[in-house]
Amino acid sequence: MFEKYTDKETYNKIVDYESVSQMWNHSVKTYPNNIAITDDGKEYSFTKIEEDVSQFRTVLTDSGVKKGDRVALLSPNSYDFVKAYLAITTLGAVAILLPPHLDEMTVFGCSMKFDFNFIVYNPVMEAKLSFVKEKKPSVVVISTDKQSDKKTPAQDVSGDDPCSVLFTGGTTGNSKGALLNNRAMMRGTKNGCYGVNAVFEERYLLVLPLTHVFGLIRNLLTSLYTGSNLYICRNNKDMFKDIAMFRPTMLVMVPALAEMALNISKQFNKNMLGDSLKYIICGAAMVPPYLVKEYKKIGITLLPGYGLTESANLVSGNPEVESKPDSVGYPYDGQQLKIVNGELWLKGDNMFTCYLGDPEENKKAFEDGWFKTGDLVRIDEDGFLYIVGRCKEVIVLSTGENVSPAEIENEFDKIAIIQDSLVYAEEEDGKQYLALQVYPRATELAKYSGVDKEAFIKEEINKVNKTLPPFKRISKIIIRDKDFNRSPSMKILRKQ
Amino acid sequence: MTRDEIVEKLKTILKYTVSNPEELLSNLTEESNLYTDLSLSSVGMLYIIIAIEETFKIKFENVNFEDFQTVKDVIDYISKEIDK
Repeated sequence: MFEKYTDKETYNKIVDYESVSQMWNHSVKTYPNNIAITDDGKEYSFTKIEEDVSQFRTVLTDSGVKKGDRVALLSPNSYDFVKAYLAITTLGAVAILLPPHLDEMTVFGCSMKFDFNFIVYNPVMEAKLSFVKEKKPSVVVISTDKQSDKKTPAQDVSGDDPCSVLFTGGTTGNSKGALLNNRAMMRGTKNGCYGVNAVFEERYLLVLPLTHVFGLIRNLLTSLYTGSNLYICRNNKDMFKDIAMFRPTMLVMVPALAEMALNISKQFNKNMLGDSLKYIICGAAMVPPYLVKEYKKIGITLLPGYGLTESANLVSGNPEVESKPDSVGYPYDGQQLKIVNGELWLKGDNMFTCYLGDPEENKKAFEDGWFKTGDLVRIDEDGFLYIVGRCKEVIVLSTGENVSPAEIENEFDKIAIIQDSLVYAEEEDGKQYLALQVYPRATELAKYSGVDKEAFIKEEINKVNKTLPPFKRISKIIIRDKDFNRSPSMKILRKQ
Repeated sequence: MTRDEIVEKLKTILKYTVSNPEELLSNLTEESNLYTDLSLSSVGMLYIIIAIEETFKIKFENVNFEDFQTVKDVIDYISKEIDK
């Protein structure tokens, strides 16, 4: 499908690798002198990184790490994270990526649930190990600062070998650890190369956590795969200064950050994202079509996509030359999709193996080898995919009719003065009805000075409400002064 | 720059981040709480910090954003940094 949207030379360079180890070896040989990582004022070429990684492999093997062992990695975004991640995975061990915001109790809980015996940690995170050290002294702790003069080569690692465990976001349930094998990681990385022509030897700026599937695969691994330069922005408040200095061509963002960047540009009446930026890949939450249109006005292509931790990056993406702002694009090749009662089910090389240590969740997640995404979707006549809602969120009305709140929210999110919305069911005197909370978009609202804002917002909402089928219409409107409570990946939490 | 001038510039920044700017900003005092009175989210706080750095040409360094609770805390920090 994507062949026709990519020039032939670029398309032919997008090849399959069995493992992170194989991909990394290839990139070091192909782009030895390219700068791969820029962090904290230092630049690291592919050759230099391989030197550091090969020495850190020795640190790991000297500590007892063998192929197949589970090794937790606890580090904020940094060069040390990249070095440790590559060392662990190219040895054929499994990297369990612990989000840096976890507290010491949760780190200990993870050591029990995921049954790991090694933790590689960045020294700034050392305090979070205290509980593990006390309660599970058998866990070997290894600082990313530890060094060795001896080099250990990368191991042969197959596609079936487990590679990484990533935490799922979860806006309604608890986080789970999705185990992805090397083939899935590489297929997800490869999918990140499709849709735009400027893919190889580009300039990425990292603003997402490397423990997030979008940060790890769509940013780091896609960048390493393509011989690109990844600049690690250590603090998001410095994002625009870093952009001005580094001049990235590609940004991967969640919608909340993309909207913030747009508003900053509007307030200071200049494009704060720089004149080099060509693309923003946007996903991990619903992308309002408003963002696509507004970015187009300043010459930046924002491409919405859809992906899950379980699918190792994107399932679908909008190609640059033929995109639809309210769609999440075409499904990538190498996957099988089927829609069962509106729910998207997936199979493919990019899919995760299981939730680690969660047999009950695995039973619920799979059926006949298909992963049940829990997302309600539709596909249009051109093959574009649309997310309609989440199965878990479906509201069954007293009339027996099913309503997907996200589907209704999408309609209200098309109103420019509405930044975000939330639809839910309420009950009064035994009668069930739908309620809507909205958080207005301040930049758009500012255009209507002297107008009764509340009345105006309600009028706009009512115009849309009237176009909905009667059973999907909302009966109560709450205009919020405060933004919605959000998950760490900035998704709106259903329980406010 | 006087304290009043700082407040005016801060109001211009806040206008873009709060959902009901006219009402909230007309009632703004130095004691207004950033989270409970102005209802700033984490992304809203990020916006304000970036916008303050850009407007006042100062830097938020070696400070924890969560330590800023009121408008007064922010104004004090800006004044201190401008005078440096």
